[in-house]
This record gives sequence, structure tokens and C-alpha cells, in this order.
Amino acid sequence: MKPAFSVLFFTVTSGIGYGLLMWLVGMQLVSGSVASATEVDVNNFLIMGFVGLTLATLGLLSSTLHLANPKNAWRAFSRFRTSWLSREGVFSLLYYPIILTYAFLVYLNGGELNSLSQIIGALSVLVALSVVICTGMIYASLKPIRQWHNPLVTPLYLLFSFTSGALLYVSMYAGLENEVPRSITILFLVLLVVSFISKMLYFRSIGKPDGATIGSATGFSQAHVRLLDAGHNADTFLTKEFVFDAGAMKLLRLRYLMIILAFVAPLSLVIAAMAWDIAPAIFLAMLSLYSGLFLERWLFFAEARHVVRLYHGDQRA
Amino acid sequence: MKLGLVIDLDTCVGCHACATACKQWNTSGTIGPLSDQSPYGQDPNGSWLNRIRTFEVNQANTSTALVDNSKSASCGSHTFDLHALATQGESALAGVGSNGSPASKTVHMPMSCMQCEEADCVTVCPTGASYKREEDGIVLVDQDKCMGCNLCSWACPYGARELDEEQGVMKKCTLCVDRIYDQNLPESERKPACVLSCPTSSRVFGDFDDPTSEVSKLTVERAGQALMPELGYKPTNRYLPPREKGEVAAMVKTNEPALSKLKKWANRMIAR
Amino acid sequence: MNHQIDSLPEFENHAEQETKFTTCYMCACRCGIKVTTEGNEVRFIQGNPNHPINKGVLCAKGNSGIMKQRSPAKLSKPLLRKPGTERGAGEFEEISWDEALDILTKRLKNIRATDPKKLAFFTGRDQMQALTGFWASQFGTINWAAHGGFCSVNMAAAGLYTTGHSFWEFGDPDWGLTKYFMMWGVAEDHASNPIKIGLKKLKERGAKFVAVNPVRTGYQAIADEWIAVRPGTDGMLALAMVHVLLQHDLFDDEFLVRYTNSPRLVVNTPGQVGDGLFLRNGDCQPLVYDQQSNAFVDGNRVDISPALFGDYTAPDGRPVRTVMSMLADKYLVDEYSPKKASKICGVPADTIERLALEIAHVAFKESITIDCEWTDWAGRKQTQFIGRPVSMHAMRGISAHSNGFQTCRAIHLLQVMLGTIDCPGGHLAKPPFPKHIPPNLKPARDMAPNTPLSSAPLGFPTAPEDLCIDGDGKPLRIDKAYSWDAPIAAHGLMHMVISNAVKGDPYEIDTLMLFMANMAWNSSMNTANTMAMLREKKEDGEYKIPFIVNSDAFHSEMVNYSDLVLPDTTFLERFDTISMLDRPISEPDAACDSIRQPIIEIDRDVRSWQEVLVDLAGRLDFPAFKTEQGGNKYESYKDFIINYERAPGIGFLAGWRGKDGDQHLCGEPNPKQWDAYIANECFFEYKLEPGQRYYRHANKDYLELAKKAHWVGSTDQILIEVYSEPLQKFRLAGQGLYDGPMPNNEQHKKRLTEHFDPLPYFYMPLEQQRIDKSEYRFHAVTQRPMFMYHSWDSQNAWLRQITSQNYLYMNRQECLGMGIADESWVWVESHNGKIRAQVKHMDGVESNTVWTWNAIAKAPGAWGLEKNANESKDAFLLNHLISELLPPKQSFADITNSDPVTGQAAWYDLCVKITPAADGETGAWPQFEQVQPLPNQGPSPKEISYTTHENVNLKRSFKDILTRGKK
Ligand SMILES: Nc1nc2c(c(=O)[nH]1)N[C@H]1C(S)=C(S)[C@@H](COP(=O)(O)OP(=O)(O)OC[C@H]3O[C@@H](n4cnc5c(=O)[nH]c(N)nc54)[C@H](O)[C@@H]3O)O[C@H]1N2
Ligand SMILES: Nc1nc2c(c(=O)[nH]1)N[C@H]1C(S)=C(S)[C@@H](COP(=O)(O)OP(=O)(O)OC[C@H]3O[C@@H](n4cnc5c(=O)[nH]c(N)nc54)[C@H](O)[C@@H]3O)O[C@H]1N2
Ligand code: SF4
Ligand code: SF4
Ligand code: SF4
Ligand code: SF4
Ligand code: SF4
Ligand SMILES: [Mo]
Repeated sequence: MKPAFSVLFFTVTSGIGYGLLMWLVGMQLVSGSVASATEVDVNNFLIMGFVGLTLATLGLLSSTLHLANPKNAWRAFSRFRTSWLSREGVFSLLYYPIILTYAFLVYLNGGELNSLSQIIGALSVLVALSVVICTGMIYASLKPIRQWHNPLVTPLYLLFSFTSGALLYVSMYAGLENEVPRSITILFLVLLVVSFISKMLYFRSIGKPDGATIGSATGFSQAHVRLLDAGHNADTFLTKEFVFDAGAMKLLRLRYLMIILAFVAPLSLVIAAMAWDIAPAIFLAMLSLYSGLFLERWLFFAEARHVVRLYHGDQRA
Repeated sequence: MKLGLVIDLDTCVGCHACATACKQWNTSGTIGPLSDQSPYGQDPNGSWLNRIRTFEVNQANTSTALVDNSKSASCGSHTFDLHALATQGESALAGVGSNGSPASKTVHMPMSCMQCEEADCVTVCPTGASYKREEDGIVLVDQDKCMGCNLCSWACPYGARELDEEQGVMKKCTLCVDRIYDQNLPESERKPACVLSCPTSSRVFGDFDDPTSEVSKLTVERAGQALMPELGYKPTNRYLPPREKGEVAAMVKTNEPALSKLKKWANRMIAR
Repeated sequence: MNHQIDSLPEFENHAEQETKFTTCYMCACRCGIKVTTEGNEVRFIQGNPNHPINKGVLCAKGNSGIMKQRSPAKLSKPLLRKPGTERGAGEFEEISWDEALDILTKRLKNIRATDPKKLAFFTGRDQMQALTGFWASQFGTINWAAHGGFCSVNMAAAGLYTTGHSFWEFGDPDWGLTKYFMMWGVAEDHASNPIKIGLKKLKERGAKFVAVNPVRTGYQAIADEWIAVRPGTDGMLALAMVHVLLQHDLFDDEFLVRYTNSPRLVVNTPGQVGDGLFLRNGDCQPLVYDQQSNAFVDGNRVDISPALFGDYTAPDGRPVRTVMSMLADKYLVDEYSPKKASKICGVPADTIERLALEIAHVAFKESITIDCEWTDWAGRKQTQFIGRPVSMHAMRGISAHSNGFQTCRAIHLLQVMLGTIDCPGGHLAKPPFPKHIPPNLKPARDMAPNTPLSSAPLGFPTAPEDLCIDGDGKPLRIDKAYSWDAPIAAHGLMHMVISNAVKGDPYEIDTLMLFMANMAWNSSMNTANTMAMLREKKEDGEYKIPFIVNSDAFHSEMVNYSDLVLPDTTFLERFDTISMLDRPISEPDAACDSIRQPIIEIDRDVRSWQEVLVDLAGRLDFPAFKTEQGGNKYESYKDFIINYERAPGIGFLAGWRGKDGDQHLCGEPNPKQWDAYIANECFFEYKLEPGQRYYRHANKDYLELAKKAHWVGSTDQILIEVYSEPLQKFRLAGQGLYDGPMPNNEQHKKRLTEHFDPLPYFYMPLEQQRIDKSEYRFHAVTQRPMFMYHSWDSQNAWLRQITSQNYLYMNRQECLGMGIADESWVWVESHNGKIRAQVKHMDGVESNTVWTWNAIAKAPGAWGLEKNANESKDAFLLNHLISELLPPKQSFADITNSDPVTGQAAWYDLCVKITPAADGETGAWPQFEQVQPLPNQGPSPKEISYTTHENVNLKRSFKDILTRGKK
């Protein structure tokens, strides 16, 4: 699949935004108050919340950039019943009143949670979770793309949202409060390792030959089938949309780079930051993780091969 | 009703008539226009609802086939195969041996929307622009509601959806819904444009729910196949595999050596 | 669908639509179409279900008529090359029709009054040769021909000199009854839709379809068996099959005795005058040996039983043998054995043998009979038609080789031996065919100022006396047709006109008038050189071809090289006639013709060429176009078509003749004839009676009808000529044994002696005989794409999306061996030149063959295309590699790269060597100068969104959107 910048930007950025917000609210819910859980004061909470929401919003806005007919974008909310994209739209919209109400309540109560704000907070976490799940499911539900139609895809979206949100949390915290928050940093590290393992499992899973072949695509399953002519000379919508070839070697190298940027470097930097209390290392880790995630998302597209490519010569021996 | 097409791979010569018939009908049809970019310049392209792909099918090279061929071969009952074609090969693939041409068969495969029963292109559409008509199963795009997100084209394994660049909305085969029900057309012409046009009558239109329809009968008689059944879309359209032509009787050879001058010719009394 | 679905909107406003019938001209197949218009725009073009040719279907081109009508390359006004500018520079000024016709009339009047042959008038994809040829003979020039000479005259001539009808457009396999069909070298053919309809029928019935072709695409893709023959060697394959048939006594002796000249006696006196001619009696009638009377008798007699085989001594003491005996001796030699043949044609010996035994089985063991009374040529009543259900069709894969005439005869010989000519299940003639063999029409030779020719320029020579040569043996025609170069050039040699005229060999001309021929590009051999020739000047600064007039409808490459351009209408804008006097649209069981009528109003200053010809004929005072008082006899083309009679009662249109329109085929002119055609959906179909449908070469009822309709001149039996005596006469001339004109140069003597074999034989194509085959290892051929017609369709926004660049398809294994990657660029070199092309790997191509689609490449800037269009950047023409002359051979003068018998251009004899291009060498080469835009030509649209009305969208209700679940 051709990696479209707007979509990469959307999924990474909104993932971070929702992740951050989930952490913020979640930690508060666990401990019952802003200060005790997050060790930040209300003002800083609001600043961090604002950053999270902005990221989520930016992501959403950028996702409308690739619409060819944006004047009908509002209609995207109407097929909640079947469409993950529609659901994502609905949840992401629903999120605003919920999270704003929560923030307002928290602000009103000076950082303390009451049962109403607890309910609303929990709801916000659920909705944010849903948004991220929907994003994952948009891809995971597409059977023609086996690299996406994979049980690990949605968990990975969630994991990356959690890890990237957590790291943003940590680094903002470090920026604002000038120290590294222990518990969440450790959680981050654990999640990063889990993400890493999941991603490796994912790579292994998509590396196995599977799915439709030119044999089943044409019905000639017992023979060797080659495309002779696609029926058109120039690129069509289909080839522009689905045929993207980065080259196997390049993809492999980028995978390694991605592993370093998204996992190895952040892990080492964060451990270093924790061990020696070097806050700036956290920022470096964040930078590394985010570029790693961009790369991860780029690979997610670049390595995805839509079955329609079979009809365009992908089976060429 | 379950309307759709049967396409006969045994007789399709890959002439592209159905593709251009489709283009001309539909560009002024219910989902028209179908725009064309760079029509007189470099790399001309536009939106089409039906395209003809040509494959070479080569039994001789099975061993070099893609690894994962084995996998789909296992969904045996869904796939017709050339195996038999190659083994009766004397006839289908002969005439090639000594000059080194491989045993290769060219197959033309016209592809338009399969009007799937489990049409994920519809499920994923967030706007509701894509839908499957309850009354006849035709999958359509309401041109006024589409936002051009392309998701449905991602969900379609058959490449049946193309975004119209100029109009920013998704186009796909309508099964010529604007012809097949048009009472103002003579009854014999209430057929999709591609079906009407096909010079080899390799496209047949009809109701798969009706066991007496031509499409149903052909599907049964000729083991009509669905493409990529393993994806579970339950495509309605069926492809009839190339026929296997049995051996043709040949005259029995006489044993005469028949060396030119030695041959003694007998004249029969034949009245002029 | 019958279901009235009330919820559906009114998609089409039928009240605002109009539906008319006419005839498609996106190619020469001439399908009937039904066109729906809205305003002056085309909504939809569909096949006319009642039409005999296409029966409702339409091809890819026909379906794209809208985009042809909207082509930005349409010419809009007469153009004159700006005085003082160079030809080919593309500097034109628009002039009025009056000016254009004045210029032309003045020039032509002068030529006609002085030396009419100085006008050479050649037409390309012309469907009105009856009119253009008639015009030329009224003008008085023999320098007229249509495209047949570079197209498929080999097929026409071989058929007309053998069976009286032919492949090409003059016959069809009996699609409904044939059980075994062999297709030789056909990719698309003129009968584009009919072949497709036929193949479907045939496959539905389970008949066997064998495709003989080096390439497996299109029709061959659906063949039951593919025979990957090596190009140029089909003659060997066919004759090896003949060998097998003879070897096992598998031939229809009754058919041969009754309907062919195979029992005739041939004088066997090698080296003497008269050798190889038929033994004749005092009345000049050929003799046979009658087994009843044991005597030599007139072979035309009814009451005899001729011996098919035998060696005799004639009463005058000369040894004679039957044709059949000669034939058996000729083909039973080892040279024609499957084993030997296999080495040449690449088809395994056992396959050759099996094919022969299969067709014999079908012909003799699976024969069919149709119970039907008919009367044979001798007046004897018969009760059934016997059918040998084997049929064949062949086209340019056979004809475009320099051995095509003899190869085609070899295929006919196979058919004749099996008795499958015009019988049920066999190969059927289409009226006005069959004709007597050959048709009784000699090429015109004598010219005089201001005088029409006494006959048509083209005809069918039967002996050296009929040639168009002067006393010294010098060609009289500019294309050297009917000279020793090409004695039976029944369609002329259009591909030689420019080359000969520029050399002044045999003489210089003044004006070259072209219609519908893109001679500056895809229809000439040696294209780059042809363009240079068109620009060549004499010492006095005048062009070697002083004046070029061209009728074209579009901005073709040829327009760019013309001095005066007369813009034509499109096929949807004009009246037109597809006449029985020309290439008929007939079906085997019906005589048919058709018309075109305007569907779209003309929005430019253009005129149909036919209209212009009739107008010019008046201006030039052609006798047939003038009343006795000196006025114009015909006020328009339509008027001419109705009223002109070639012979009493015979005109261009055969339907609804007679004052009241109630006579068919023959009758007085009918002033309302056009209306009658329009009322009948623009075609006329005259169904033959069941008893007239088969064995028409020997069917009295049919022959009587044919005579009445002037299709044939007599009701005599049309005797199939297995042995061609006319050829033998030319051969004798080559051997110096003829009592009449004989060539005096060695080259001609050799060509006649070798190639004018009265029985079909195989020889290596001429180019191959003169080059190093080990160096030029690959045969390079083109194929017609089903979705494009020659140069016509790159201007078509839809069709060019299918292919805007052609590739050189090569056998994949060969490529792997040579290190040529898929889609890499290669140099392709022939004895004549070099091009660069992009390769595609293919399995289904004979390993010594490379091929490409024909005529995709375009000169930059022509055809309304932008300068960076793929057609000019990446597409290539094989034509650059093909020379109009054979590779030089010591001591022999330049001679045409054509079949030595018919002058058919040998496009597919081309042999090439292929080498990978260096890194970075991409794009087609050579590249040509940009063609300048025409005056007032705007830029072509960057985007099209064609529609004739705002779409009526089928809405989905919001309720449904909100409430429907998954299903
Ligand atoms: N769509 C379309 N239709 C057309 C035309 C067009 O341009 N486009 N052109 C029209 C014209 S002018 C003509 S003349 C006809 C020609 O119609 P066809 O006879 O179909 O002409 P080609 O496309 O030249 O096809 C020749 C075939 O012969 C094969 N061939 C080449 N050499 C040999 C050989 O030595 N032996 C054998 N057995 N096969 C060989 C080639 O692979 C090819 O398949 O088509 C007419 N119809
Ligand atoms: N390499 C190679 N070359 C070949 C062949 C091949 O097989 N291989 N085939 C040869 C054969 S068989 C043929 S028949 C020739 C065909 O060659 P041509 O007969 O020259 O055919 P085109 O070049 O397609 O068309 C001739 C011209 O007709 C014009 N035209 C189109 N419609 C109209 C109209 O309505 N009115 C007028 N006045 N003009 C119109 C077009 O603009 C074009 O300039 O090509 C030959 N060239
Ligand atoms: S029109 Fe018929 S024969 Fe031609 S490509 Fe389409 S299905 Fe095949
Ligand atoms: S073929 Fe594609 S567009 Fe058509 S119904 Fe199936 S999934 Fe949808
Ligand atoms: S492109 Fe249009 S039809 Fe397709 S999913 Fe998006 S909104 Fe629906
Ligand atoms: S049914 Fe209609 S819309 Fe669909 S491919 Fe055929 S012509 Fe096109
Ligand atoms: S074959 Fe096609 S282009 Fe030719 S006349 Fe028929 S419909 Fe027209
Ligand atoms: Mo031709």
C-alpha cells in the first residue's frame, strides 16, 4: 500500500494524543486524585491534557486531508453499525464533550475526583480506547490485505498508543516537574518490551506465505500464472493506490532502523534517564520513539500488499 | 434476486469490447461521468468499471510456481485447474515441443464488480454511500453521499472500485441498473452494456437465485468458479473455466510406404 | 429484466433522445449500429441486432465512437501548404473549399489533357473502391489502386486463381456446421465481429479449433490446439499435410473429378514450348482421359468419367499426365514429408501427421448431408448437399510473406483435396463470389488525354500478354504492377508508389492523390526514408513528387506531408455506400450491402470525399458524369449513387431498385432508394434460396441468379483450379519458352521460373534468402490489436488508455538465455535499419519470433496528442526496419520486397537481431521532429468528463443508511 503522509501522521499523532490522555485520566482514576496519581498539579494536568487533545485533533484533521470529496465528510458518522471508520469518527467526536467535561469537573474540584468525574473519566478512557481500537480495526478488518488482516494489528495499535502516550507523559512530566516519574516510566518500559515482542511476532506472522495467490485469484491453482497484460498502459487508480514497491532489502533495513528507533534506543535512553536521572535523555527517547513509530507506520503500509496487486503482475516470477 | 454475470473464459478473446461498452454507457449513465485524465497526453488514465487482464497459464512450470501456490491449491473444490488440460495436453498444448515454446495457454480475464454477497466494500463504507440493494443484490455507490475516502476500494479484493479523480467519488460497476430495468428499452436490450456488446457472448447476465436462469444453469453445467473464494466475499459473478477438448478421432494410417513413384494409383469410375 | 421496480428514477429522458441506424466505420468490418443521440451529442452506440454482419454486438473500437467524434485531431478546413515553406514543416494556411477545388481542378485538368498517368491516385482503408476506381478510369489514369497490394492481395489472388472465392472478405467458414476449424495467421481480420461470433458458435458446438500462429493471443488464446509455426513456413506445413493425405489415399476423388481441373491432362515436355500447358482439342478445350470411352475427350463434357490419375501419350505424340498424377508425384517426395517439414516449420512431425489424419477423419468419416433439392451446373437434379465439415481461414500471417500466394494456394489445396469448398461445414463463398477463375477482367493499359480508360485499372492477367508493360518490357504503371516484377498484382503495389515516383522509375509523376492512407507513417515500409523521399527535390528545386493531395479526416502524419489537404467528415457525419460492386458485406447465405447516413450535424468546414469526387468529376468533365448537353449529370453523391448504372439495372446499391423500389439486385434506379435503406436500418439483405446456398461454383440456380445480378458473366461451371495454367504461362515466359512477351533480364527470368509454379510449393521467404539467418535470428511480425485500427485510434481518449505504448514481445526462455530482462530496452536491427524498443517476456510465442502491436507509435504532435505522449516517446514502429526493396544481391537490380507473383508487400518476412540496450538507453529510437499544430488548432483537453446529460443518481435513503445492519 502506498504510505500516505496524512494517514501516517494521523495514526501516529492521534495514537500518542489518546495514549497520553488515557494515562492522565487512568492514573487519576486509579489513585483518586490528580496530584496523588500523576504527581502533577491541576494546571500542569490541564496543559498536558491540552497537548494530548491537540495531538488527537491534529491527527483527526489530517485524516480528512486525503478525502477526495471532503464536503461529505460529515456523513462518515452515519454507518456506525458496520463501519470501523464510522465508529472511529463517532467515538472521536464523542470524546470531546466527555474529556472536556471531565477536565472541567477536575478543575472545578481542584484536582480531586468525585464519583461523577470518576464515571466520566472512566468513560473517557473507554472512548479513547475505542477510538484507538477502531483505528486498528479499520486496518485489521481489511481481508484483502493480509498484513493488516492480522490479530496482532489492533493490539499493536493499542500498545503503541499506550507506549507513546506514556513516554510523552513522562517527558512532559520531566519537563514540567523536572524529574522522572518512576512508576509510569517502569510501566512504559514494560509496555515497550511487550510491544517489541508483539511486533516481532507480527513480523513473523506476516512473513509466512499465506492468503490469496494468483492461483486462487484466477482460478488456475495447479499451474504457474503470469500476468501478460493488465489491460492498460499507464497507472490507474488501482496501481497508484495499491502498488508500492520499496524493495525487499530496503524494507529489511528500515525494519532494523525502526527497531532501533522505536525500541532499542528509547529503552536504553529511558533506563539511562532513570538510572542516572538525566531528564534530557527522556526527550531524546521520545524523539527516537516517535520517529520510530512513523517508520513503523510507514512500514505497516509499505509492507502491506493488497491482493489486487495479483492482477497487476505481482506474481511475476 | 441475486443478479450478476457469468463470464466464459473458454471463449473470451480479450477484445476489450465489454470494457469500452461499459465506459460509453456509464459515462452518461447514473454514476456518470467517468472522467479521464491526460486523455491526449502522457500516461492517459481514467475511471473504468470493467477491465480486461491477460494471463499466461503455464502447466510446464508448476515447479517454479510461487511457494504459496500449494496453499490455495488446497482449497481444491473452489478452483478449477489446468491440470487436466495439460495432461490431455497432446491436444491442448501440443505443437510446441520441438521449437522450445513452453506449454502455455493465454487466458483473458475481464473483471468488473462481483456483486459480492459478503461485500466488505459496503460494510466498511462510513458514509453509507456504498450499499447493496436488497431487491437484487446490486452493489452501488450513491454518488451524492460518497466522501472519497477510498476505504471501500481497499476492502475490495477484485479491484472493482476506482475513484474518479475529477469528481472525487468512487465509481464501480452498476450492473447497468439504469438499463436492466428501463421499460423504455426493448426487452432484449434490458441487459448490461457489456453483455449486449460482447462479440463472443462470453458474458451472460441473470439471476443466480433462479435455478432456471441461464447464469445458474451455466454455473452448474460448466462448474462456474468464484475468484478468491477463500476471502469469504461470496462473489456472485462466476467464471466458466476453459473447456477441455477431448481427443479428435484421426484416420487410421495405411501401412503403405508410399514412396512417390512406386505408388500405384487406382482410378475410380466417377461420372462427372 | 421484466420487474418493474417502482422505486427507480427515470434514468434516461428518452423523449429527448433520438435513435438512428447507420454503419460503423471504426474499421472496415462495417457493422450495423444503432446510435442514440441527445442534441448533437452521441449518448450511446450499440450493435444493430438485425444486422447481418454483427448481429447486435460491437467491438472495442465501435464502442468508442464517441471519442472518435470528439477527437481533437479532426480537421476542420481545407489546408494549403504555405507557399515558400518546406513540405513536412507543417506550415499550412486555411483556404476555402472553392479555392481548394479550383487549385485542384486546374492542376488535374492540365494533367488529364496532357498525360493522364501523371496523376497517381491511391487509396488506403477505402470502402468505396468501386467509386474511386471508376473515378480514376474516367480520369484516364491507370495509376490507381487501393491498399490491397500492401494488405492481402495474396489471399485474394490465391483464392481467385484457385477456388473463385477466397479468404479475406470473400468467404467464411461455415460457422454453424463446421466440426474442425483451422485458422492460419489471423489476429483480428476484417471480419472482426463475425469471426468472434463464429468462434463462439463453433466452440459451443464442441467443434475443434486449431490455431496456426507463432503467437498465442486473442483468437489463438481460445483455440483447442495451438500450433506455434515458424513465420513464413506455413506452406511447408500445409504441403506436408497434403503429403500425409496422399500417402494414405485420403482425398475426395469425386469432388476432384467433378469440380476441379485435377483430371485434366498436362503436357509433359520439359524444356519445350508448350510444356506444362493443358492438352487441348481443336476448339481449344482442355482434354481429359475418359475411362468410359478410353479416349481423350473435352473435359467440360457431362457424360464422361475422367481418369484422375494417369500418364498417357497424346494423339500428337506428346507425353501427358493428369494434374493429379503430377500432384501426387510432387508432394510425395521426402522433401514434403512431415519429418523434413518439421525441421523447417518447427511443428513436430507427429503433430503434422496427426493434424492431417484428423481433418481427413472429420471430412470423410464425419461428413454431413443436407437434404435439399438443387440443380447442378449441368442441369442435373440433386437431392442433397454433401458436407465435409472441415474449414479453414487464413489471413495476413500467410499473405504478408513473399511466399504468401503459394502458401495460400497450398492451404486451398488442402481444402480442395478434402472437398470442403462451398459445401456444408466447409469454407463458404459470399456473394458476389465465387467468380470464374480468374475473374474475367484485364487490367487497363492504354491511356489517352481526356479519355476514360476502356476498362478498370485493375484486373486479373492470365498470360504475359495481359501485362501492363511496353514493347521493351518496361512497366507502364507507376507502382510497376502487372510488370515482370509482379505480374499478377491484382491490387497494385501501393507500397512502391512513393519510392518509384521519387526515383522517376519508370517515370515521373505530377500529382499524388491519396485518400485515407497514412503513407508518411505506418502504412509505408521504411518510414523514415519515405518521409525523406517525400521531401526530396530535383535540381530545379521542385519536389520530385511535385504535388501531394490528401483527403483525410484527422491530423495524421500524412497530412503533415501534403500540399493540399481536403478535410473529410467523420463516419457519423456522412452518407456513404458499401456496395456489392466492391467488397460486399454479404454473408454466405445472403447478398448484402449497406449505407451510412449522417447522425451528427457537421460543425466544421469539411466535406465527404465521395461528395468531393463527384463534384470534381463534374468539374473535370468526366463523360459518365455529364449530360449530353454538357451539364452535370449528378447533383450530389447521393444522386450519383441512385442514378448511376454500371450496366442497365446494376448500380451501387442492390436493394429496392426499380421505379417503385420493388426490385432487388437488378432494376431501374429508384429515386427513393436512400429512404428505403434508411427505413430498413441502413442495410439490404437478399437471402438465397436453400438450394442456392452451396456448391455455388456448380449450382445452376445460383449461377443464374449471379448472372442476373452481374456477379458473374456466364452460368458456366466455375471449375476449381488445382493446377494453374496461367501461372505456367508466366513460368514458360521466364524459361524463354513462351510464344509471347518474355522478360529479358536474368532476375525476372529466375523469379518467373521459380515462383510461378502451377502447383503450390514452398520456398523460403525472399528476405531470408538474402540475409545471414544466423545473424538476423528472429522473425519480427506485427499483430492487429483488437481495440485499435491502424493509426486511427491513438486519438481516441478511451482506446489509447488500453495501449499507448507497444512492447516487443519475446519468448521468455530466449530472453533469459540472452540476458534480456522483462521490460528492459533492446536494440532491434534489420538489414535496413535499427530501432530501440522495450521488451516484454511472453511464454506463448514461438521462440524464434518477436512481435508487437501494429501502428501504435505516432509522430510527436500528430493526431492531437501532446508532444510527450507515450505513442511518440516510448512506442515504436517496426516499419523502420522493413525495406520496400529486397536486400541487395550481387548483379540483381533493386527489386520490390514483395511476393514475386502478386506484388503483395512482404511485411512479415522481416528478420532482426536483438541486443540489450546499454544502461540509460531508454525510450523509443529514432525520435522524429515535432509535427507543428495546424492553424487554429488549440491545445487538446487535459481532462475529459464526457456525458450527454446530468446523471440521475440512484439515491440511498438516509433511513436505510442509519438502520440497515450488515446485510
Ligand atoms: N482491430 C483491428 N482490426 C483490423 C485492423 C486493425 O488495424 N485493427 N486492420 C485490418 C486490416 S487492414 C487487415 S489487412 C486485417 C488483417 O487481419 P489479420 O490477418 O488478423 O492481420 P494481423 O494482425 O497482421 O495478423 C496476422 C497474424 O498472423 C500471425 N503470423 C505472422 N506471421 C505468420 C506466419 O508466418 N504464419 C502464421 N500462421 N501466422 C503468422 C501473427 O502472429 C498474427 O497473429 O485486419 C483488419 N482488421
Ligand atoms: N509494420 C506493419 N505495417 C503495416 C501493416 C502491418 O501489418 N505491419 N499492415 C499494412 C496493412 S495490411 C494496411 S491495410 C496498411 C493500412 O494503412 P492505411 O491504409 O494507411 O491505414 P491508416 O494509416 O490507419 O489510415 C489511413 C488514414 O485514414 C485516415 N482516415 C480515417 N478515417 C477517415 C475518414 O473518414 N476519411 C478520410 N478521408 N480519412 C480517414 C486516417 O486519419 C489515416 O491518416 O498498413 C500496412 N502497414
Ligand atoms: S467483450 Fe467478451 S470477448 Fe471481449 S473481452 Fe469482453 S468478455 Fe472477452
Ligand atoms: S467486487 Fe468489490 S466492489 Fe464489488 S461487491 Fe465485491 S467487494 Fe464490493
Ligand atoms: S470512498 Fe465513498 S463509497 Fe467508498 S468507502 Fe469512502 S465514502 Fe464509502
Ligand atoms: S454491468 Fe454495466 S457497469 Fe457493470 S461492467 Fe458491465 S457495462 Fe459496466
Ligand atoms: S468491427 Fe468494430 S470498428 Fe469495425 S465496423 Fe464493427 S463495430 Fe465498427
Ligand atoms: Mo490491410
